[in-house]
Amino acid sequence: MALIEVKNITKAFGDLVVLRDFSVTFNQGGVTVILGPSGTGKSTLLRCINGLEAINSGDILVDGLSVKEKKNLKHIRIKCGMVFQQTVLFPHLDVLENLVMSPIKILGKPRAQAVEQAEELLNKVGLISKLHSKHNELSGGEQQRIAIARAMMMDPEALLLDEITSALDPEMSVEVLKIIEKLASDGVVMLIVTHEIPFAQRIADRILFLENGSIVADSPKDKFFSEIKDENPRIARFIKNIHH
Amino acid sequence: MFEQYLKLTYYDIFFFLKAIWVTLWITLVSIAIGTIIGLVMGFIRNSKNKIISAIPLIYIEPLRNSPLITQLFLIYYGLPVVANIVLTAEASAIIALSLNTGAFFSVLVHNSLKAIPKMQWEAGFALGHDGVSNFRHIIAPQFIRLIIPSAITLYINQLQVSSFVSLISLIDLTKAGHILTLRTMNPFLIYGIVFVLYFVISYPLSKMAKSLEKKIAFTY
Repeated sequence: MALIEVKNITKAFGDLVVLRDFSVTFNQGGVTVILGPSGTGKSTLLRCINGLEAINSGDILVDGLSVKEKKNLKHIRIKCGMVFQQTVLFPHLDVLENLVMSPIKILGKPRAQAVEQAEELLNKVGLISKLHSKHNELSGGEQQRIAIARAMMMDPEALLLDEITSALDPEMSVEVLKIIEKLASDGVVMLIVTHEIPFAQRIADRILFLENGSIVADSPKDKFFSEIKDENPRIARFIKNIHH
Repeated sequence: MFEQYLKLTYYDIFFFLKAIWVTLWITLVSIAIGTIIGLVMGFIRNSKNKIISAIPLIYIEPLRNSPLITQLFLIYYGLPVVANIVLTAEASAIIALSLNTGAFFSVLVHNSLKAIPKMQWEAGFALGHDGVSNFRHIIAPQFIRLIIPSAITLYINQLQVSSFVSLISLIDLTKAGHILTLRTMNPFLIYGIVFVLYFVISYPLSKMAKSLEKKIAFTY
């Protein structure tokens, strides 16, 4: 059974159809990078998988459970952690509490175990020294690394990363992308929406290219960057524009 | 010598203490009731349904845009005439102040909830919290921190405007001052004492609001 099955979904905001009869499957293992022009439905796809946006038709199954059933959402969201473009730490909590609160309240993890896991993850993202800092004492890049660690605290099978570096300056982006590469090498399944082509080239196993709510290309990374991008003028133009 | 100077007896001091109690009692009961009304109305105001969210305005706007004293007179003098409902001065005072507090508090609730970015809700949902858990663990703690300083300021204001109840024959701190002034003919001293007593109650609360604001403040 595939981890995530998107089956003929349509998602519209009013009259604007963002995803049109859209189908794709994500299996266990690997990093999929979703590319495409702005407003083409990349972020909406991730939000629909996570149940943050209701779909108009079709279905999405995560671990065999439909996102259309409200009772499945908790399980689905635990399975698929999500990190957003804007950093969203909880401002009333310090870094440690941001990390341990949900595993304790939602998964029922013992506090000691959650704290130990939080410290391990903070070590991994290089921010163990910020254990008791508040969000406003952290840079944008640090906040985003904490948000990634917080998502990992729920032991997800997949991470949905929605343009997580686009609000950061290049230096901070590098810090965050390094963490993502580290997690990918640990075998975490990822669906990444990004405009960072060099990063996609390094990290992706598979590339999905979307335009106007449909898949234009779905291929292994090597094939995408060696053949498809040259065969498809639209993709070639997109990559050229991103680079310049 | 002190008594002679002020022309105050121990009975007068007792009279003042009793009046302080009336002021505090009326204020505390009405801010408690007003807070509950304000929470309910504020949350309804925050409904996504535009019609439902507009309903509390029928209550909030008239009360925020009319003097408390007219609200008090409407209840104490008006209700017996139009509805044959005769209320004691104390009940009228508590009802008027509660409704008035509720109207202002509901605006604080509405504004505090609106100040919490939508992304905070989404981040909670994305971590697997349902609506109740999200509210309890993520939204409510932020909401409380946002509303507390302005709530204390409102409570202090309501303590001060509670002095209007003296106009419907309730012997609160202001009315006690008035009575004692008539007896002693020393308005500066008597109202000076009334002034100081209000100040002694309000000032620590206002300092507390400031220090709490500093302690719990956060930015998004």
